Amino acid sequence: MEETAKQQYTDSERARIFEEEFMPHINSMYNFAYRLTLDEDDAKDLLQDTYLKAFRFIDSFQQGTNAKAWLFRILKNSFINDYRKRSKEPSKVDYQEVENYYNSEDVDRQITPDLRVETLQDMIGDEISNALNSLDVDFRTVIILCDLEGFKYDEMAKILDIPIGTVRSRLHRARNLLKEKLSEYAKKMGYKNA
Amino acid sequence: MSHPEQSPQMRAAKGNCLEMLRLILDGEASEEDKKDFIDKHLEICMPCYKTYHLEMAIRDLLKSKCGNHEAPAELIENIKKMIGTVR
Repeated sequence: MEETAKQQYTDSERARIFEEEFMPHINSMYNFAYRLTLDEDDAKDLLQDTYLKAFRFIDSFQQGTNAKAWLFRILKNSFINDYRKRSKEPSKVDYQEVENYYNSEDVDRQITPDLRVETLQDMIGDEISNALNSLDVDFRTVIILCDLEGFKYDEMAKILDIPIGTVRSRLHRARNLLKEKLSEYAKKMGYKNA
Repeated sequence: MSHPEQSPQMRAAKGNCLEMLRLILDGEASEEDKKDFIDKHLEICMPCYKTYHLEMAIRDLLKSKCGNHEAPAELIENIKKMIGTVR
């Protein structure tokens, strides 16, 4: 949002943009906020803060550009600046180290736990949600942005302020971690061969 | 026939099925490449076949179980009200 020239919208234009371009994404935004904070109250606060910020900085939004990506970027920045610090989640891994590893020549190695489609289809409870939530927030984020929200590499790179190569390696790593987690659940459910 | 609009990633994926599979899963492959891969390649490549169907099953689960947190109506009203007063 910093690269675009400021607009000078009238009050009625601001109201229209907010209503027609920002509000339609509110459910996706809430879902994202919830998956980041893992807490309904925090998600509500984060969503409200984000929409207020979006309105305050509406002159930085250029009509005809991707409002959803613009909003997701504000939400993600608010989360990092205001919520991540006070979240209870301990920092578990050094992402840079993980990413360096996955950017190395080993990147195309395919880790496929022997998880079966039929086993997944028997997971009708919270297994997938728990598996997703158990991933570190950076990995969780790329899965949500790509698989649930359908953002492209370049959009994710802008939302997350990381290079496209990092988006790719992080996604790859995240998918493998999610499969490993689901595979663990499957074993617990008693699938010997999962 | 060349594809001038192809990204560097797409060019690199030609002839490398795991790379193409990643682009398809990430939503970055062209419709044509995707169709070709699913219709022709998956029939002859077991690792890709298994991974593709597994990843699709995971995605279906994600969509049905993790994408349905709707913003509470009260919160939406609140936001609209606050914007009204800021304005």
